Amino acid sequence: MTTTTSAHTARRTGAGPGNSRMRARRQRDGGPAMLMAAPAVLGLAAFVAVPFIVAIVLSFYDAQLNQVRTPKFFGFTQYVRLFTDPVVAGPFFRSLLNNLVFAIVVIPVQTAIALGLAILLNSKLKGIPVFRTIFFMPVVFPMALVAVIWRLILDRSGNGLLNAFTGFVTAGHFVPQDWLGSAGTALGAVILLSIWQGAGFQMVIILAGLQEIPTERFEAASLDRANAWQQFIHITLPGLRNTLIFVTLYTTIMAFQLYDQVYILIKTAGGNQTALQTVLYQGTSSLFDENNLGRAAAVTVVFFAIVLVIALVQRSLLKQRTEE
Amino acid sequence: MNRKRSLARTGTAILAAGLAAGALSACSQNSSAGSSQTGDGTGTINVWAHQGQDSEIAVMQAAVSSFNSSQSKIKVNLRLISSDTYTSTITNTPKDKLPDVMEMDGPTLASYVYNQKLSPLKQYVSASTVSNATDGSTAEGTYNGDLYGLAMYDSGLGLYGNKKLLDAAGVAYPKSAADAWTADQFTTAVKALASKSPAGKSLDVNESSLGNEWATYAFSPLVESAGGGLIKDNKADGTLNSSASVKALTTVQGWKPYVDSNADGNAFPNGRVALAWGGHWNYPTYSKALGSDLVALPLPNFGGGTKTDAGSWTFGISSGTKNGKAAGAFLDALLSDRNVKAMTDANGAPPATKSALAADKLYQPGGALALWGDQLNHACPATAVTPSCIAVYRPVTPGYPTITAKFAGALSAIWGGSDAKTQLDNAAKAIDQAYTDNSNYQ
Repeated sequence: MTTTTSAHTARRTGAGPGNSRMRARRQRDGGPAMLMAAPAVLGLAAFVAVPFIVAIVLSFYDAQLNQVRTPKFFGFTQYVRLFTDPVVAGPFFRSLLNNLVFAIVVIPVQTAIALGLAILLNSKLKGIPVFRTIFFMPVVFPMALVAVIWRLILDRSGNGLLNAFTGFVTAGHFVPQDWLGSAGTALGAVILLSIWQGAGFQMVIILAGLQEIPTERFEAASLDRANAWQQFIHITLPGLRNTLIFVTLYTTIMAFQLYDQVYILIKTAGGNQTALQTVLYQGTSSLFDENNLGRAAAVTVVFFAIVLVIALVQRSLLKQRTEE
Repeated sequence: MNRKRSLARTGTAILAAGLAAGALSACSQNSSAGSSQTGDGTGTINVWAHQGQDSEIAVMQAAVSSFNSSQSKIKVNLRLISSDTYTSTITNTPKDKLPDVMEMDGPTLASYVYNQKLSPLKQYVSASTVSNATDGSTAEGTYNGDLYGLAMYDSGLGLYGNKKLLDAAGVAYPKSAADAWTADQFTTAVKALASKSPAGKSLDVNESSLGNEWATYAFSPLVESAGGGLIKDNKADGTLNSSASVKALTTVQGWKPYVDSNADGNAFPNGRVALAWGGHWNYPTYSKALGSDLVALPLPNFGGGTKTDAGSWTFGISSGTKNGKAAGAFLDALLSDRNVKAMTDANGAPPATKSALAADKLYQPGGALALWGDQLNHACPATAVTPSCIAVYRPVTPGYPTITAKFAGALSAIWGGSDAKTQLDNAAKAIDQAYTDNSNYQ
């Protein structure tokens, strides 16, 4: 959402001759524009800005949910604990690491898979809409449903679909694994199911990008006797550059907001908490399991800082693109 | 999609924070004005209860409407709230917005007393209602020497056994609580039963719920039995991570190869395993599936005699009520034999009043769950565990939410293969930090 808006703004401010005219019009429309923006601005203030300022304030107190007594002022204790106290920092750093590993694996793999699927589905075959629907379907499924399906696939008994399959193809040499419960495989399993669920969405965006590449370019390339690989490298990829930047950044933010599937798998499917916890999971479990409002607020603030950095990187990358 | 939902969740968390902050300032301004008032015993009172199974809802509604029609002075308004969000609803409601009578999950009671949301009960309910409450109901509802909660029903926990499979494997099983398997005997039995099972599994511990309250409910009794515990004198260090606790949970970890993951929930009723760690709520399904082959057994004895858990939903009167007398009259009626029997017939739970428990065939000698009924007759609070006590009620302390979150986190990690000592050390440190931060909830 923010990406498209900032892209528009960037394009507008970047455009040379139209620039001053547009600025003049913007000034003329000031009154009504402000009026029309008011509901959205008020909403943003009430539901984003004010609660966030409250969260910053709360993170300096030893506040508990459901508390009658006046909370103690805690200074930077919550933050110091988040980064230095082994009891709090241990799980917190592990959460950050899990987020990071998830992002590092998911961003390239999911984007590559989405690109591959999009190129396959861009071909002019009969029944392509059917395949598009099938590949897009996991995106429509609620994450709760996806987690339940994958819980059955990853079940640790020999009857679990994955264990039964690996056992069958290796003629029983592969011993059933506790995919979700053991620390070594839990995050990998979640990465797998997240890619399965999420790739369809990126695929649709890339597909739209593919269809914007003029077919004349491919025709010209084939006249120059470029083979399929050369066409992919020199026409498809440059043509998709903007789309791919958007998809990558979107996936990054999504990767840092990993929550639904890990929560469901930890709470209802015996998922390994240490290996699966994420920053957002830390925040919500501090608040709703332990009533620790102060720490939850501190986690939220740190999380905001991380997302902010990502958003800044996103903006600078988009600027580079439009200047070219 | 993902992103939107996560954002919404962050938003909810922040919003909750904001609301709580508002509530904090609102509450601290009039903290003296929250004490309950007796009233004249007439008028309308509001009651909040959790929305249980359909059969439980019907009983609750019938109890309210028969109370309303039996007299004309008091009118009760019942509001049912989804059980998923019930506890967080009460937690996030400021005390002056709470109803006159509210239901709550037993272990959360102390945190409401600490936050001045509850009124002592003895001034409002009749003496006979108080004396008819089982020891367990009293233990669960008492904090700092005052009674704040009275329950309609309790809960029963133990092992279910499949007699046919036990006999086929030649495994002898205990007939009474005193006769409970020791840790070694139980491990041997589990292995013997597993060797007779086609899939090599013999036990169901409902492992998918080990990250939840089930962990503390079902496995803290083993820690108590071993001589450890959850918390003692506001300190978890030295109790939760004592060598006894560590050893107990390491033993539990060792059962994993014989435990069915039970993804379909049918491991025990379908006869895939011979033993199941379970509660009274499993009884209707299990007895239907196994008939006379179903036996109720005590949990294994880890050294200090077999221990089990207990406790369930309980009722209290809010500190903000203006009509304590009427609220007490309603509780007297709600805890009558007729209502308690109707409720426990509906959900299969053991009654939490002496007279109804004595009349309950399921839990009395000769009944299928008689052994579990007997366990509840030997009840004690977590602060006074004796060798003869069997049903240990979870600690009644405002810090309970942290205790249970940390215990469940540790147990699920141990189940996932982590070292028990490390996990329990970390859990104990985290719990002690919460107690220190809050001046021991004094």
